[in-house]
Amino acid sequence: MDCRDFCEQHLAFVDDTLAGIELVRMQRHIAECESCAKQDAKIRRALLLFRNLPSIELSPDFSSRLEARLKSCQEDQLAMTQHSMRRGAIAAALASAVMLGYIGTTLFNQPVAPRDILLPPVVATVPEPELTPITTSAPAIVASVSAGLTIWPVALFAEQVPVRFAHSKLELTNYTR
Amino acid sequence: MADIVRKQAVSVEVPTVRERLQAMDDSAVVTAFLGGEERAFSELVTRYQTRLLNFVYRTIGDREKAEDLVQEVFIRVYRHLHRFDRSKKFSTWVYTIASNLAKNELRNRSRNPLVLFQTVQKNSQDEDRPLQFEDTTSRPDDMYRKRHLREIVEESVAKLPEHHRNVFILRELEGKSYEEIAEITDCNLGTVKSRLNRARNSFAEIIAPYVD
Repeated sequence: MDCRDFCEQHLAFVDDTLAGIELVRMQRHIAECESCAKQDAKIRRALLLFRNLPSIELSPDFSSRLEARLKSCQEDQLAMTQHSMRRGAIAAALASAVMLGYIGTTLFNQPVAPRDILLPPVVATVPEPELTPITTSAPAIVASVSAGLTIWPVALFAEQVPVRFAHSKLELTNYTR
Repeated sequence: MADIVRKQAVSVEVPTVRERLQAMDDSAVVTAFLGGEERAFSELVTRYQTRLLNFVYRTIGDREKAEDLVQEVFIRVYRHLHRFDRSKKFSTWVYTIASNLAKNELRNRSRNPLVLFQTVQKNSQDEDRPLQFEDTTSRPDDMYRKRHLREIVEESVAKLPEHHRNVFILRELEGKSYEEIAEITDCNLGTVKSRLNRARNSFAEIIAPYVD
């Protein structure tokens, strides 16, 4: 082991965290190297001084001051909690009001469902086919085109279609057939 | 008669809340506090107040300010304990808060020289204190030597660079492991070891002329 290795491992050497073989090598180096032995002693002595520094004690009013600060901190936290709870309550109240309003409008403004119209029962009867004679006092004009359709008034087509007079007693059959 | 026997049995068997808290480890005390036991916080304060005061005082070198900072540490712990990750060590968390506050204090001082002046004034006032407050059992020349030596040691520590000093105090005074120091200072393990090695060497060099 050289001095450089010794310096690199000195931290672990002082803290007693070196493995057995390394520890022996370090101890052997100290025995051989006066400079490293001096440096090791210097560091150990300095650390001893520092570690033995008297402990600083708290001032007598430390606890009372801390207690007062903690109390004020508690009050702040309580106030903050109450504030946030109040805000939460207001928000919840608003939300529930909106919800109630919505429920109300949906319940009361619901469109009235169309009721079934109750009508008296219908009795359907098959009408008897009956020919009704056209009763006109004056003779009617009937115009017909070649397709067989009857168009009123015939006077519009007087020049284009043959005209004939129909007798008032002419019985008309059902044209829809 | 039966009442007396019952009372005696109760006083013997049932430990007080404070005693039960004292027997618990940090994690259990934290759990008790979060469970609504307010006295658990006092137990945490009792456990850490002196250790934190020493740590902060050695870091910033101002006793009064150190007390203020320790109080601030406890206030922060009180406010944020519900956010503390209970899978980690409570002591590491507390020291992290204290370390950050001390760092901020040193940073503010470097920005505001007036604060530094106030600190110097306080230190000079400390010198006027009667010696019997130091150690009443020692002879005057021993007391003087001790006090003088203490001042030299404190001054030597104060001469270390801030990031070296922090690691040095955590290791040598508080006995923290390298891993804990790495967590507290937010550095990797290699950096912690390197800083500690340098701090030890520097401190030894600074103090050597006074003790040889």
